[in-house]
Amino acid sequence: MDLQEFLATEPTHDRDDLVDLRALDFVSSYDSHLMCPICHCPFVEPVRLQCDHVFCHKCLQSAITTFRSADSDEFPCPSCRTPTTRVSTSVPRLLVNMCDEIQVRCPLQAEGCAELLPRCHVQSHVDKYCGYRLVPCPDDSCEKKIRKRDLQSDERCLHGYFLCSRCEEDVMEKDFEEHDKELCSSLETTCVDCGTTLPQRELKKHVDACPDVVSPCAASKYGCQVKIRRADSGTHEQTCPLISLGPYFEAQNTRLNSLELTMRHLQQRNEIFEDGMSNIRNTLLESARAGRSNRRRSVTEPDRTQSQNEDDPTETPNVFSSNATTYLLSLHESLREEVSQMSHALTDLDARASMTIMNECLRIKEDMAHTNAAVNSVRMQVQWLMNPRLHNGARTGVIRTNTASTAEARSQLTSTSAPGPSSAAGPSLGPLRPRRPSDTGREGTKL
Amino acid sequence: MFANKRLGKELIKIKDHTPPGITIAKSDSLEEWQMDIKVLDDNPLYKDQTYRLKFTFNNKYPIEPPEVQFIELPASSDTPRPIPMHPHIYSNGIICLDLLSSSGWSPVQTCESVCMSIQSMLTANSRNERPPGDSEFVAYNRRRIRDIPFVYEDDNV
Repeated sequence: MDLQEFLATEPTHDRDDLVDLRALDFVSSYDSHLMCPICHCPFVEPVRLQCDHVFCHKCLQSAITTFRSADSDEFPCPSCRTPTTRVSTSVPRLLVNMCDEIQVRCPLQAEGCAELLPRCHVQSHVDKYCGYRLVPCPDDSCEKKIRKRDLQSDERCLHGYFLCSRCEEDVMEKDFEEHDKELCSSLETTCVDCGTTLPQRELKKHVDACPDVVSPCAASKYGCQVKIRRADSGTHEQTCPLISLGPYFEAQNTRLNSLELTMRHLQQRNEIFEDGMSNIRNTLLESARAGRSNRRRSVTEPDRTQSQNEDDPTETPNVFSSNATTYLLSLHESLREEVSQMSHALTDLDARASMTIMNECLRIKEDMAHTNAAVNSVRMQVQWLMNPRLHNGARTGVIRTNTASTAEARSQLTSTSAPGPSSAAGPSLGPLRPRRPSDTGREGTKL
Repeated sequence: MFANKRLGKELIKIKDHTPPGITIAKSDSLEEWQMDIKVLDDNPLYKDQTYRLKFTFNNKYPIEPPEVQFIELPASSDTPRPIPMHPHIYSNGIICLDLLSSSGWSPVQTCESVCMSIQSMLTANSRNERPPGDSEFVAYNRRRIRDIPFVYEDDNV
């Protein structure tokens, strides 16, 4: 659809009574490709531009109304600035599904709902299943709201206060269950260790301080197996050897840690140095190879080969005086290189020679064909000319004059059409002797 | 509302990770952030200096661009922040960059991408000068940044 039509459409997810999908709390991070570049949320109702960039329906609408130039139907894509006139609401199903499957927390998390669910189910969860949604009190006279799961089947109003029978506090009926189990100050419990009875909400504080709680010795991490009541721990601490050794152990541990750290540093440095060493070795090898390539060049200039070969050994020992083996190896390598260079040159020469021979042959062949053709044409003309003579020789005196005149005419005809020497030779061939009979037979088929 | 959600997400991302040379200096509210930027290469104009950018977001962000300018902290303070020398940056910190204008802005840009653009604008510069008419502009300008009719004639920087 074009921009005007697109602006006229209403995003279906934009009504007030619906869950705002952009405000949801995501359980884990989602792929940044699923994120609308404008609102930075996973796409809500994605739409696509001509350039294949995808945005949320609502985000794109607000961008279009702001960035479209007033007098044109074009709109630059926010991502790539390609001018666009059409918006497509069809995006790959895959994209929509991936956005819909992102796990979110129920938006009523603050009210106590701990539900995790895919984004596409949030709406129905909140509408139908979430027990923490506040709904109007079923009693028409009451204007308060109540959590859905507290609704009673008989649709009573639970907002009336009544007195807790134990603590004498006013408690709203809807909160009574919670009060009864956790908050009521009259609730009591006993400490497992010392047997004291105390209000439930103070239990935690008590356990931290209770003298009868059995706890492991403070040096347990150094191997002291003793578990002892908190009240008696003072006497144990005086006798336990591990506790007196404690500070020493601590110091040793920190030393060990720092040593390990320096070890690791040194190892890293060592690795770096080794890398550097191998780098240096590589560059040395390369320079040796460069020396060899100098020599390779000298193969093409035979007059300089001698001097190069004399130079090389004097250069290379300087580089490799510290490493005789490498030097020998490289020398061997360079010699081998030279040999292969030579064989290359040989094959090269070979190929070149055969090439020239071939070329010459071709030319000669061509010449021969030309000559053949010329000979042939000469032969043909000779036959043409000879033909009338032969006939004349065979016939009687009466017809002779007649034929002679036609032969004259014919020979003139051929002399005009035939090029080169044959035109000159044609008439001069006139007074020739009759040809052999075998020739006459062939002449018939040829002409 | 829209702006706050988007800024919240950006802030989480920036606090988690920023590109090299860019750090967040102040983000007390979702209306104004301050970012510290450094030029990473050896450009002698900006070597060993840190500059502070102030972002002011309005409630139409990211549909409308944020106001971005350099701010100066005195050299005597713990964190001295001068105004960088650049032919498109006035000595009061106002930046002439078409990306930050209503016409050049795109909602796809983020605080991070703007910082990176300004960082590269500094990196690419080699001229040690202020824009023409700097002293007059600084003395007389009382307009808000978005109302200044900049002319973006120079595409080279």
